[in-house]
Amino acid sequence: MVKSELIRRSPLRIFEKSIHGGLGKGNIGVIASRKGVGKTACLVHIATDKLLQDKQVLHVSFSARVDHIITWYEDIFREISRKRNLESAVEVHDELVKKRIIMNFNQKGMGTEHILQSLRAMIKDGHFAADCVIFDGYDIDIATSEDIKAIGDFARETNLEIWFSLSLKGEEPLFDDRGLPRVVLPYLDAIAVLVTLRFIEGYVHLQVVKDRDTVDVRDMNLRLDPKTLLIAEIEE
Amino acid sequence: METLERMRNIGISAHIDSGKTTLTERMLFYCKKIHAIHEVRGKDGVGATMDSMELERERGITIASAATNVTWKDYNINVIDTPGHVDFTIEVERALRVLDGAILVLCSVGGVQSQSITVDRQLKRYHVPRLAFINKCDRTGADPYRVFRQLKEKLGHNAVLMQLPIGLEGKFEGVVDLVKMKALYFQGDNGESVVEEEIPSHLAEEAAARREELLDAASMFCDELMEAIMEETVTEALIYKAVRKGTLARELTPVFLGSAYRNKGVQPLLDAVLDYLPNPAEVENIALDLDTNEAKVVLKADPAAPLVALAFKLEEGQYGQLTYIRIYQGSLRKGDEVYNTRSRKKIKIGRLIRMHSDSMEDIQGAPAGDIVALFGVDCTSGDTFVRPGLNYSMTSMYVPNTVISLSLKAADKKSEDNMSKALNRFTKEDPTFRTYVDPESNETIIQGMGELHLDVYVERMRREYKATVETGQPQVAYRETISSRVDFDYTHKKQTGGSGQYARVAGYIEPLEEGEYEFVNEVKGGSIPTEYIPSCDKGFHSALVKGLLIGFPVTGVKVVVNDGTSHSVDSSDMAFQLAAVGAFKEVYRKAGPKILEPIMRVTVEAPTEFQGNIFGSINQRRGVIISAQEEVSFFSVDAEVPLSEMFGYSTVLRSLTQGKAEFSMEFLKYGRVPVSITEELVEAFSKTRKN
Repeated sequence: MVKSELIRRSPLRIFEKSIHGGLGKGNIGVIASRKGVGKTACLVHIATDKLLQDKQVLHVSFSARVDHIITWYEDIFREISRKRNLESAVEVHDELVKKRIIMNFNQKGMGTEHILQSLRAMIKDGHFAADCVIFDGYDIDIATSEDIKAIGDFARETNLEIWFSLSLKGEEPLFDDRGLPRVVLPYLDAIAVLVTLRFIEGYVHLQVVKDRDTVDVRDMNLRLDPKTLLIAEIEE
Repeated sequence: METLERMRNIGISAHIDSGKTTLTERMLFYCKKIHAIHEVRGKDGVGATMDSMELERERGITIASAATNVTWKDYNINVIDTPGHVDFTIEVERALRVLDGAILVLCSVGGVQSQSITVDRQLKRYHVPRLAFINKCDRTGADPYRVFRQLKEKLGHNAVLMQLPIGLEGKFEGVVDLVKMKALYFQGDNGESVVEEEIPSHLAEEAAARREELLDAASMFCDELMEAIMEETVTEALIYKAVRKGTLARELTPVFLGSAYRNKGVQPLLDAVLDYLPNPAEVENIALDLDTNEAKVVLKADPAAPLVALAFKLEEGQYGQLTYIRIYQGSLRKGDEVYNTRSRKKIKIGRLIRMHSDSMEDIQGAPAGDIVALFGVDCTSGDTFVRPGLNYSMTSMYVPNTVISLSLKAADKKSEDNMSKALNRFTKEDPTFRTYVDPESNETIIQGMGELHLDVYVERMRREYKATVETGQPQVAYRETISSRVDFDYTHKKQTGGSGQYARVAGYIEPLEEGEYEFVNEVKGGSIPTEYIPSCDKGFHSALVKGLLIGFPVTGVKVVVNDGTSHSVDSSDMAFQLAAVGAFKEVYRKAGPKILEPIMRVTVEAPTEFQGNIFGSINQRRGVIISAQEEVSFFSVDAEVPLSEMFGYSTVLRSLTQGKAEFSMEFLKYGRVPVSITEELVEAFSKTRKN
């Protein structure tokens, strides 16, 4: 399969359709679940889909080591290209790598403003015209509402999409009666799209909970392939 | 076997300026082998003993590896001083090959930096068990706990603190030994007497907590210790045993602290070498049997078995060539006759020597596991010596391709003679250093792994060999390759009276995914006689030496010959070779030729305030940033940058960051040159052809 066909047939098109054509520039989207359900895989799949469309992605992470994240990208790309039998996969891969930069931070000692400043330095001085920023593993528990506002301002100022992963921890109930994770309630206005990953009948389903002004739980008709962790269409 | 248990072959691996040479010097001192301590950049002009070359003395760094034998508490330790700079990778890797264990020295101020990462990666590649020593605890800004965290986070070690510092920076007094639960102080003019005292009360709680951590980590490797912990019957011996097991399995890195410069913490580190690093019998070594298609043979560290030894380092000494060897199996005695499996020559062992940097001791023999030196033996670094009858070779070492070249011109006849002597020596010492004479320009060309690598050899030529040489501009080792399949059908015909030349070859060339060149014979029905097939192969191969785009070697080409014509009188070996060359030249440009250039993996580290400048500087150099990692006030960036853009980068970086940044660089791969630069290169090449 050629690249354009692969993009056209990606389950991410269904993902976009169910959130009115995608997140859109200047907005913040969140993927929320408990730890270990598949948020990072989702984000890397979203990022890889952007990269395939020749968009540039800045992946911001807060983990101990960068090579783990690179391994995620390698794995997800390999699964996608194998599943669709992608033509000249090696060349496509080499092109993707050039459009992706991973920036890893130790959030504990570092304010959000500091992180954003580093991103600005990369975009401006490093001449990296990012279209999308992935924030994986940002700890919302130690963030303040000013931090979230600053990130929102940054998204608008640089005109790019920001996808967050949000790890839900603690005791049930994690969600309020509308299906919104309780931890996001103080920042709800800053979030344009919120997707949760929920276990239903042995599979991890993707559900839209918030899409702009609408708050209600809708199944996206997508789930995570338990083997590859790729986002996949639910076939009837 | 008793001698083996009391033997250690260790290396000291470190980043430049983490105090490796000073540490080595102190270790030698405490082993009573030398009687005065000299500083690396000492005022007395003597210099530290391990730095055997004048040049190294001047730069204050150690370039060549020398092996030194010391005795500590009745144990024989061979210390192999490994070079710190990444540009001398092959030297480092050769030294690593013969080590059984290593001390990874880290600076308690600078922490884990890019070169520490490279050095650590090399230790991993050769499966070397290691201890970590966090040095310079007396310096302003010393924070061994931060370095300890970095060891875990950046290098991924399962690190465990074996000691705690007593005071830091100017107040650094000594260490707490978490196994003995005692405070250690270093008294006397040179810290030679180690005094054990009770742990200072303000550290008691911290020491107890860290000991818990140590026991937790160590008990993973020893059920006995785990039980002892439950029953509260832990003994020192049990802890040593467990930590040793974890270290040998390379699953645990014990961490020690000190300040070599202030004579603190060195003796406990020497003890740790005995306690936790392997003896030669505990390491598996493998040779290749050349008689059975290079089948792997596990060697036995048994002095009675047939000899297998590796020459890992040559040095030009005052009295001739010194060859450092590691004996893997059997024993070597003065007067023995041994066989060099590469040169297939027998040699007789005249003098056998144990080295202490600049002094030496004649010995009668040495057993398996030992490291000694031979005098006046003609061989190349990497040669294997065996007992006649065996035909083993130690596994071929990873030798990277050279990526940069430089032309040399001697000022006069005498310099020319000296230059060729020097080049002959260097190529024997260092397989990543190569030299040849360009038949077109008649210039001597040297090739190596980086700018600094070649600089050092040019310097050595001037100093040690008194050869006055001028150097040209550094030249990147480009490659050419093809990108599409194209058919050829070429007839070579020449009739000049007498027997002529006639040959026709047909087939196709296409890109080869892996490897440099492949020749496939698909000729059916003898349209090319069998005896001329090798001529075709030879012809195509010779055509690849110089590509037609910019005159660099062509790689990644598969040639398939499937038809041809011969003439009973006029065809010859030469005719088919020329036909092959002609065929290649005719179709090369149609096969989408491309230029490849060496791409380097570059790591830059600097205080955060400079990150904009550094991102910009990488971007300007056609670099691709792969990742950036940020700590509170420090960041590092990993990028892939073409070598041709990296000339003089150290100077640029210095001025961009007021000298606060550093970078390291390693060859990564060959990558395609962008179209605009391809055009420039092609144009420049055609100009030189016209001149």
